[in-house]
Amino acid sequence: MTLGLTLTANMAASFKELPRRIVQIRNRSARFGPRNPLGNSTFRTEVSAYRCCSGAAAGRSTHFGFESVPEGEKAERVYKVFESVAQKYDVMNDAMSLGIHRLWKDSLLRLMNPQPGLKLLDTAGGTGDISFRFLEYTRSVREGQLRHRARANQTPSWQEIAAGYGSEGEEPAESRAVVCDINKEMLKVGKERAETAGITTGLSWVVGDAEELPFNDDQFDVYTIAFGIRNVTHIEQALQEALRVLKPGGRFMCLEFSKVSNPLLSRLYDAYSFQMIPVLGEVIAGDWKSYQYLVESIRRFPDQETFKEMIEEAGFFRVQYVNLTGGVVAIHSGFKL
Amino acid sequence: MAALIRSLRAVRSLRGLGSVVATTCPASLYGGLRRGFHRAALLASDSKSDQTVPPPSHHEHYQHEDPWPNTSYQDQSGEQAEDYETEDQLQARILTAALEFVPQHGWTVEAIAAGAETLGLSAASAGMFDNGAGDLVLHFVGQCNVQLTEILAEEHNQVQLGQAEKKKTADFLRHAVETRLRMLVPYIDTWPQAMSLLLLPHNIPESLKHLSTLVDDIWYYAGDRSTDMSWYTRRAALTGIYNTTELVMVQDSSPDFEETWVFLDNRIRDVVNMANTAKQVQATGEAVVQGLMGAAVTLKNITGVNQRR
Repeated sequence: MTLGLTLTANMAASFKELPRRIVQIRNRSARFGPRNPLGNSTFRTEVSAYRCCSGAAAGRSTHFGFESVPEGEKAERVYKVFESVAQKYDVMNDAMSLGIHRLWKDSLLRLMNPQPGLKLLDTAGGTGDISFRFLEYTRSVREGQLRHRARANQTPSWQEIAAGYGSEGEEPAESRAVVCDINKEMLKVGKERAETAGITTGLSWVVGDAEELPFNDDQFDVYTIAFGIRNVTHIEQALQEALRVLKPGGRFMCLEFSKVSNPLLSRLYDAYSFQMIPVLGEVIAGDWKSYQYLVESIRRFPDQETFKEMIEEAGFFRVQYVNLTGGVVAIHSGFKL
Repeated sequence: MAALIRSLRAVRSLRGLGSVVATTCPASLYGGLRRGFHRAALLASDSKSDQTVPPPSHHEHYQHEDPWPNTSYQDQSGEQAEDYETEDQLQARILTAALEFVPQHGWTVEAIAAGAETLGLSAASAGMFDNGAGDLVLHFVGQCNVQLTEILAEEHNQVQLGQAEKKKTADFLRHAVETRLRMLVPYIDTWPQAMSLLLLPHNIPESLKHLSTLVDDIWYYAGDRSTDMSWYTRRAALTGIYNTTELVMVQDSSPDFEETWVFLDNRIRDVVNMANTAKQVQATGEAVVQGLMGAAVTLKNITGVNQRR
């Protein structure tokens, strides 16, 4: 009890100092810029202590890049970031990753290996990259199956013809994709892309928050979230929503930036991220701050093993991850069993 | 302030519990227990309660708590242990259900997806199998071997009880191989695809393991307790017989595979003959050697070299 009292006394004393120290540290980081991201570790512990103390008080804070913002504000600021980058999103993706993001997304689809007839929920799908690839993949698989079936039926015996009488029209089913994003601008860009690509059927566009999906339980076969989950304020809630909307046996897949294990590659990657990417953002999209937020939010996201544990805690089974490009990007996969 | 003290106490008690648990259990159990405590703590502190996964209503219950179901913790996990199943058991069920779609889809991931759907799971759960169709084939082969072992054990019991006659080795081998090959009959049209899958480099260790346990089991129930070179030669011979008969069966179009069984008879007879011939050659060789020795001694006697002075 005395221990508790002394603790609270210390807390009370430091309580008043904390806001002042946070302001000081924020000023410090603004001055030094993002060049020493490791120097913010003390900042992080201050934030967590602050959060622990003011649990009952209003407005817990979370990270927005290397800044700390109240939780309510983060969603709004992320919205603004993506609203401003929406028009140049795809161009910037190609420029920043030198086109490798296409290979990453292709790897995600290959790992998913979807059969025709599945329903996909592409959360934070934005401009629809994953959904387009999903529809293409399942359609080509379906065509292959139809062709195979036609070839097998070249010279049917009378038994096969008789057996086939009842089951006319039993073709492999059509697959459907739903793109869900919190940001209307990104969905608008996505719809325009769908029109130019000529994809008309099997695709829906829904505005929704990953933490509170506007769907019933047990709806989807596959849930993907590509480069979106680090922008979510409460990642655990998003994972639980994913569990809720998936059918039993459904698959959760997450493509996200992660920790690079190789130290040499890590240094090159850091240099590239903090020196090149905001500059590219300014030159191509006219927006330094959004891309500063991008690279900072990547550093704030938990590493592969931690994220795997979070997914397991949400209730998924057989959680595995695969590193791409040496750990720059990781694909996590889990099943609702 | 009261909330502050409450939250501090909760955090401290959790940490205390965590450290106690950590000292007594290995890391894998700690993870599972920690998750359980985490959930309890969340419920206790009246935050937005995370819903536990609702038990699926239309099929069996699944184990939720333990992400590493193969540890012994599984047995202590509570009252409903019999209703819960591990991931491995679920995978086995999916693969068994997938077998009935093999004639239609072949040994492919589509068959697994169709099998999963019959169990009420989404077709996306076929992604659980990293090896895809290879997993399906290996599961089937393992299942057949287990069935064969049960049949042979049953017959062995009957012989022990005196209800049946003990077969001669050649007959026993023939009976065992035929029983095992007959299990392939429902899938014989697609069996070449399965054999090619078994021969893929990353599947070869597993398929070799299945083959060697099969051959070992057959010889064990045939009564082989040898401990010398013949242990290896017998198993090698039976492996050869089995593989060649399987190949013949795949392209056999005679009614009820008669030609395959004739081929099998001939091969077994060859092996038996060769064993007999080997024994004869050895005996003859010994006799010849003795004869030569005798001739040499006689010669020495005649020429008087052997005379004792």
